[in-house]
Amino acid sequence: MSLPKMKTTEPLTAPDPPAGSWVSRLAWNFRHHPKRELWFAWWVMVIFYQLYGVLFFFVTRVQPPPSPAWDTPTVTQWFSDRHLGILAGFGVVFLITGMCAPMNALLAYSMRRMSVSRLFAYSYLIIYSLSAIPGMLVMAIAMTVAALRPDRDPELIHWLYDFAFLSFSGTMGVFMIGSLVWMVAILLDKNCVFPKWFGYLSLCNALTEVVVAPAWIFHRGAFAWNGAIAWWINMVVFVTYTGVFIVLLRKMIQREDFGAGPLPDLPDKGVADHSDAAEAVR
Amino acid sequence: MTNRAGSRPQLEEKLTKFVPGQPDMWMFVLFESLLFTGYFSVYLVSRTQNEELYLQSQAALDLRFGVFNTIALLLSSWAIARCVQASREGAYRSALINAFLTVSFGVVFLTSKVLEWVNEIQMGNTFTSDEFFQHYFFLTSIHCIHVLIGFIGLGVVVYQLWSPVRRSQQLVETGATYWHTVDFLWVLIFALLYVVR
Amino acid sequence: MSTTFNKRLLIVWLILTSMTLAYVWMDRAVDQNGTLKASTVVTVSAIAIALIKVRIIFREFMEVRHAPALLCRLTDAWVVLIAVCLLGSYFVGSALSG
Repeated sequence: MSLPKMKTTEPLTAPDPPAGSWVSRLAWNFRHHPKRELWFAWWVMVIFYQLYGVLFFFVTRVQPPPSPAWDTPTVTQWFSDRHLGILAGFGVVFLITGMCAPMNALLAYSMRRMSVSRLFAYSYLIIYSLSAIPGMLVMAIAMTVAALRPDRDPELIHWLYDFAFLSFSGTMGVFMIGSLVWMVAILLDKNCVFPKWFGYLSLCNALTEVVVAPAWIFHRGAFAWNGAIAWWINMVVFVTYTGVFIVLLRKMIQREDFGAGPLPDLPDKGVADHSDAAEAVR
Repeated sequence: MTNRAGSRPQLEEKLTKFVPGQPDMWMFVLFESLLFTGYFSVYLVSRTQNEELYLQSQAALDLRFGVFNTIALLLSSWAIARCVQASREGAYRSALINAFLTVSFGVVFLTSKVLEWVNEIQMGNTFTSDEFFQHYFFLTSIHCIHVLIGFIGLGVVVYQLWSPVRRSQQLVETGATYWHTVDFLWVLIFALLYVVR
Repeated sequence: MSTTFNKRLLIVWLILTSMTLAYVWMDRAVDQNGTLKASTVVTVSAIAIALIKVRIIFREFMEVRHAPALLCRLTDAWVVLIAVCLLGSYFVGSALSG
């Protein structure tokens, strides 16, 4: 069975996968499915977020964040409680950092599929590529440095503690701009890649990220880096937002026709699509 | 519609049930109000933990500013509601005038807010002074950001109303729905910051 | 421009404004001899009045009156939800500190 040549201007229908064993269908999809890269990116994103959650919350236990108001002995104690977790957990974080790439690429792809200028996609890619540095890596590095030598000067450990958490929480501005870029693209888009309410939700997300800015000033209270407003409420919105866009990206890939016009809606469940059969393999 | 006495029930019947503006904007409105409710709840709980401090600091606020701000925003909401109705009936000139009125009242609100902030800061009450003023400056600032975004929304409304080739009633209503949200959020903020004891 | 609708909006605005002015009265009435006093009655009333205003804004300005039942019920539910959160926070907080 030969695949038709893929022209990006014409909508593409997936040819039928061969009926057969689970393995043979998987192999066929791996080699021929026109959306395999998109699905790969989507799964990388899902796995990355799961790992990120597990690593930051359960392995390293650096989230929910501790208080900026602690004194040095408490901070040192906090590090020694988490010594192994931090080193192992962030070791894995360094390994999986690269998974951000397909994830951000998929989001940028969604903007390429829109009717708006490609500038949006490119800006988003640049912003988010850079944002992983303060938003994840600097914290990982600072924490591992602090945990590496438990007998280090406690003042230095405290310094690294402040450095890590301020970098992690305080640099939300970059993510905020990224959210806004995506939001404007969605609201201007005529190809209905995403529903407009998601554009508005992006605005909510961007605004809660503004709210984290006071973390640079306060050592305690609702606006400190562990505060009810600067962290907890922000986290609820962020998790909701992430969950929603994961689902919406999935829908986008299912609807994708590789054309340049409005993205078609999903067919009704009764009318089985060829692509659905391929989906069944995953 | 020349017979005023009989026209009202007819008009009301004519208005079959419709969702004003994009349903998407309503989702935003509901979500954002929940978010603000979260912020308000944090404020109220903190307040109960430190009543004396909050009472003392609150006394530094001038209720007149708050009332003036509320009335300004209520006027702006009224204007945009009139704009939506005018636009629905095809009276675009009137709709545009009302839209500009809305913007003007919004600017009045913003100016008065900035004056109030300057006033407070000159009295020595800043964002970092104490807990009450943390919440005060935070809530009023984040609300102001919403007002500024509202101006963008109103810009879209004016843009739509301006030329006959556009005039999407749905977009006009959507912009109005956002603006009303800004208004009712302020109603809540005013009650919580200025009046609640 | 139909004046019947004009009048309704104006009346709504007048009601909302007078409710706002009621706050001024409340504010004057609560402080005895100029000393500041915490008051549950004032807090609850202030919140209640604010929520009534919010509901009026929903129904009249935002035209929920003419909306499908789902939106009517949703906005009403939201007013109740906000009331529960605000009053709940206040009372739970008071209980925790008292």
